[in-house]
Amino acid sequence: MTESVIGVARARVDAPDKVTGATRFAADGHVHGLLHARLVLSPEAHALIQRVERNAALAMPGVVAVLTADDLPLTGAGSDRTTEPLARTEVVFAGQPVALVVAENEAAAEDAVEAVVVQYEPLPAVVDVEDAMLPGRALARVVEEEAGGGDMESIHAGVDNGQEDGDEEQLSDNVLDTVHRSSGDATALLETSDVVVSGTFRTPWVYQAYIEPQVATAWLEPNETLVVSTSTQGSFVTQRELARAFGLPLERIRVVAEPLGGAFGGKLALMEPLAAGAALALRRPVRVVLTRAEDFQATNPASAQVTHLKLGARKDGTLTALTARMIVDRGSNAGWGVEGITTLLVAGPYRWKAHDIRGYGVQTNRFTFGAYRGPGAPTAAFALETLLDELAAELEVDPLELRLQNAVVEADVGVSGNPFPRMGAVEVLERIREHPLWKTRASLPADEGVGVAAGYWPGGTEPAAAVCRVNQDGTMTVVTSAVDMSGVNTGFAAIAAETFGLSPDQIRVVAADTATGPYSGASAGSKVTYTVGAAVLKAAEAAREKLLKAASEELEIAPADLEVVDGAVRAVGSPDHSITVAEISAKALRFGGRYEPIEGHGGSAQTRGAPSVAAHLAHVRVDQETGEVTLLAHVIAQDVGRALNPALVEGQMRGGVAQGIGWALFEELVHDESGQLLTSSFLDYAIPLADRVPDIDTLIVEVPAPDGPFGAKGIGEAPVIAAAPAIANAVAAAVGIRLRELPMTAPRVWAALEDAQA
Amino acid sequence: MIPAAVEHVRPETLDEALDALTDPEAKALAGGQSLLPVMKLRIVRPSVLVDIGRLGLGGVQLGDNELRLGALATWDTLESAPELKRPSLAALAGCAAEIGDLQVRNRGTLGGSLAHADPASDMPAVVLALGAEVVVRDARAERKLSAEKFFLGPFTTALAPGELITEVVFPLVEGSGSAYAKVEHPASGFALAGAAAHVTPDGKRSVAVTGVGAHPFLLPADADPLDALTEAEIYGDRFAPTEYRRHLAGVVVRRALDRARENMEKAA
Repeated sequence: MTESVIGVARARVDAPDKVTGATRFAADGHVHGLLHARLVLSPEAHALIQRVERNAALAMPGVVAVLTADDLPLTGAGSDRTTEPLARTEVVFAGQPVALVVAENEAAAEDAVEAVVVQYEPLPAVVDVEDAMLPGRALARVVEEEAGGGDMESIHAGVDNGQEDGDEEQLSDNVLDTVHRSSGDATALLETSDVVVSGTFRTPWVYQAYIEPQVATAWLEPNETLVVSTSTQGSFVTQRELARAFGLPLERIRVVAEPLGGAFGGKLALMEPLAAGAALALRRPVRVVLTRAEDFQATNPASAQVTHLKLGARKDGTLTALTARMIVDRGSNAGWGVEGITTLLVAGPYRWKAHDIRGYGVQTNRFTFGAYRGPGAPTAAFALETLLDELAAELEVDPLELRLQNAVVEADVGVSGNPFPRMGAVEVLERIREHPLWKTRASLPADEGVGVAAGYWPGGTEPAAAVCRVNQDGTMTVVTSAVDMSGVNTGFAAIAAETFGLSPDQIRVVAADTATGPYSGASAGSKVTYTVGAAVLKAAEAAREKLLKAASEELEIAPADLEVVDGAVRAVGSPDHSITVAEISAKALRFGGRYEPIEGHGGSAQTRGAPSVAAHLAHVRVDQETGEVTLLAHVIAQDVGRALNPALVEGQMRGGVAQGIGWALFEELVHDESGQLLTSSFLDYAIPLADRVPDIDTLIVEVPAPDGPFGAKGIGEAPVIAAAPAIANAVAAAVGIRLRELPMTAPRVWAALEDAQA
Repeated sequence: MIPAAVEHVRPETLDEALDALTDPEAKALAGGQSLLPVMKLRIVRPSVLVDIGRLGLGGVQLGDNELRLGALATWDTLESAPELKRPSLAALAGCAAEIGDLQVRNRGTLGGSLAHADPASDMPAVVLALGAEVVVRDARAERKLSAEKFFLGPFTTALAPGELITEVVFPLVEGSGSAYAKVEHPASGFALAGAAAHVTPDGKRSVAVTGVGAHPFLLPADADPLDALTEAEIYGDRFAPTEYRRHLAGVVVRRALDRARENMEKAA
């Protein structure tokens, strides 16, 4: 064997095309006869639609149609964004699509949008999520719809909702779901704990802020196949959603996932029902591209959350019990919410003797909730990791040591009721404990401080398959249906190269569509490398077996005595006795050839998740005059299982931290009392720009996942989770204030400093 | 994000431009950094865009007693022009350097910004503190407006219909120092509070603030600027409430004055 390619930093396979502008994204494709659709959005947060006046728009030049829900061939039951992509009778948030104007060009469509007049009968807007839970309160949705059924929740986390129990709380019908997790007598244990801390924490709606706005194009082939070319995280799930919306057989729908311009959880079946519905109705190709302002208003950001949390500990630092009441604002999403996952993750990677955690998924007239990197996790970590720091202060112990003392190890039972698999919670905390930033934190200048926090993501699973094909020239093509999000294709190339015996630059990875590709789930839930990667490994092994069988005949040496090195098969111990992969493949791939094509098919069905955990150190300076918080440095140590490609792993860690900085300091979607969105552009919605992201020290910790390819696990979500509480704890270390609400904007920090002085 | 249909003309002479601007629905197009975004949002729908880019209005002329900046001088010009590298004009270059990003500074212009009169834009505070005059023309005549009389309200100026800013004239005071200080909105980069200060060797000072009121304004010359702020009408919004903005205005006023004095000492 030559040098391993596993663990070696390499450029992303898609990097040259991306940096030279050669990549064609979903809005770039040329389609003959394409029509352009623009959305008519509801200005009302909650209202009944009385009338859609479309004649003036239809009379405008270039306008082909003005479509409402009744004009789309929808057959699915329910009022989710798949089955009701345009509001039928009731709008439930400001920005909800009400009609589609379809025209020969974008400008004509935009002109005509203004000419569509929709008459509404306003209803009370439900915007206060806690008030909405109370019995007798106005409902955020008044028109009853049958439940739909989709499988969006299982894409991301697939956690259960704890136990059913009998103690019925009096709640309004805005509460769509309740979760209860408990073990032991948490309340009694808190009463006898030496130290107890508590607080109520608020986190806002947060936008995924992908670079490429949402877009989909749909058309009918002459044989009536509906083709949808789209920017999505998952082709097969989109195919299923479209089948559900329009009652079409799966084989009549072909979904092509184009190169993704960012998604972070937000791109799953929002635009496709609109484009497909219009294409089916008009029998012409239709493209829907959102403007940024529309993307802010009409898509599916992360939900706001209120967390009431109480923790206890003994004098010796042993954590005792936690109780939590977690209220998740789902907006209009009746299908799923993060109350299941956030009630699991609020316990963090720590041991508790008892817990009593309740979660509530509540509908309001704000957006439609959607997934965003680690859904439900940063919100839970902000509450837990803040209070752990306060607990450490009360106990007068080092906050990092307190976490280390209570960190879970393999077989500790979590609040899910299941034992933790091996996960490097102790290892990542020990790693940052040795970092100079932590060791020298006592000697910082005034107004500076260092904070610590940790968080984990359980990791998703879903069966997946892959094909490895050796071409006539001896190169290999790896075929999967996974959407290349965050560089997974580059990881597939390394896995196939290492397994088969080629160099990674001899391997091309292609993403197939639903008509041609092996099955893959959506790129979500930190599972692609863990599941599809495992399938690629098996496919490469299967291809290698065929290679060795053919080589064995050619060289007249038993397969067990052969090795594959640098694109050639050779006898172990006798390297001159060899034949290249290209020569064998040429003998297979030709008329009258002698061997089966060198191709392998592989599948995986992981049954255990592989959780990833990360610990953070944040170093901040607080300007006490203005309240501005500047992040000076950040350290993240993450258990990544095995870093297939350290450059990409570090990129994921940096990206997660950057988005965590957004949660901590900048990002907040704000509505007024009537449900109007006040932050629908990047002039109002702040994200961490390059000059606000400091150097991030990335410390890779490798605790191999038993079932992962070469020990690798999914790593995308873990790095975002505890970045914000590390920054919050750093602010506390710097200037002694603790904010209970994110983001920690300058005005809020200044107000807290004023309060502390008063 | 597609503007309503609009005509575009690009006159070669100032007279032709002023003639085109007699159309009440016409708008002058300078760098386009403010006008085009609001056109894309269809908040503004001019019938015709009069592109003034070929009128040669971008010059920097430093005389013995005054600095004349053409209306089309870009932020990048102000940031890098050697004529402006003097302590008395440090506020101009310093302020220009804090506006937007490099692309914006390459396109955005002094005259365009003043005419747009965003209540939180930076440069109006400097124009006020340095006591500049705004030279405007229409098809019939030219007049000069003091900066203090120029800004009337949010996006509202003393420009009459058909008038175009051609130049901004800054008096030069021997041995003085100036500076601009701001705290920016984390999303827009506009000033949550910005202050420009100009101090002279005879002890006079001039301080203007932006981002905190309906329009940028001069603080009274005869009162302590921080006291004056407690009396001023300060604007608040959901991000930065009035109390915070008033406090912040005091912080940036103090910082601007400190830096202006430092610059004056450099001049000495």
